[in-house]
Amino acid sequence: MGEPNEDDADLARVLAGDPEAFEGIVRRWQGRLIGLAWRFCRDRAAAEDMAQEAFLKAFRSLTTFRRESKFSTWLTAVALNTYRSRLRSDGLPLLGLPPTRTISVAPVALADLQEQERTEAVRRLVLTLPARYREAIIVYYFEERDLAESARVLGIAEGTLKARLHRGRELLKRRGAEKTR
Amino acid sequence: MSDEELERILSSEESLTPSSGFARGVMAAVRTEAAAPPPLPFPWLRFFVGMGACLVMAAAGAALSVQADGMVRDVAVTLRAAWPELGYAAMAVFGSLALARFPRVFARD
Repeated sequence: MGEPNEDDADLARVLAGDPEAFEGIVRRWQGRLIGLAWRFCRDRAAAEDMAQEAFLKAFRSLTTFRRESKFSTWLTAVALNTYRSRLRSDGLPLLGLPPTRTISVAPVALADLQEQERTEAVRRLVLTLPARYREAIIVYYFEERDLAESARVLGIAEGTLKARLHRGRELLKRRGAEKTR
Repeated sequence: MSDEELERILSSEESLTPSSGFARGVMAAVRTEAAAPPPLPFPWLRFFVGMGACLVMAAAGAALSVQADGMVRDVAVTLRAAWPELGYAAMAVFGSLALARFPRVFARD
């Protein structure tokens, strides 16, 4: 995770005309931006592609960073907007089915596999939610359930976010139940 | 699915390690971006001059049409009287254009 002072120093250098200083920002925040993109597409190559686009967009618009929020909040919001536009233009990712395992395994390992597949199925189900609930759920859990920070990244009020989270979870439970029926 | 289970699944997403060349790839794109000439600014001055000219023309046109209302009516009456001849002339022009176009369609193949 990035240190605020390092970000400030690199920002100052980039704004003074040294694009090489942006590498520090990329190295500190790459995991975070790829991780967020991954939650939106669940495809590693696509996630890195989306994160690269987000970094480029951030580089182009560094002059618009007004320091009214933390750099991480601003960068995450830029990334979120990039991913949102990308999903709008390319459509939702086509998700392959989780691999079917036919090998014989011990009962304990089999239970673990079933649990993993169930977990992955729920995460993929999040991607089928309407955009407002999908984004609320992804960002909220990505921000480790920090409601205020998530609301800042999404650019909405905390009350709105709470309502979207509630509705999103309800939809998820309903769709999960329909799937297992 | 219970609330607790859903909460547990959504909270337990594993992090993804970036591939080794990711930062290098981003920086290559950043260098290309930085080396590119800055985009041309929107020509606001020309835009406003053009808009001003359009407004002046529109106002002048409106004023003239109000003043020349009687004249426009006379022209319309004359055109209506000469309609059959104008129609024949227009048909002749379109017919000639079509005939001139006809051989070119075959020449293209």
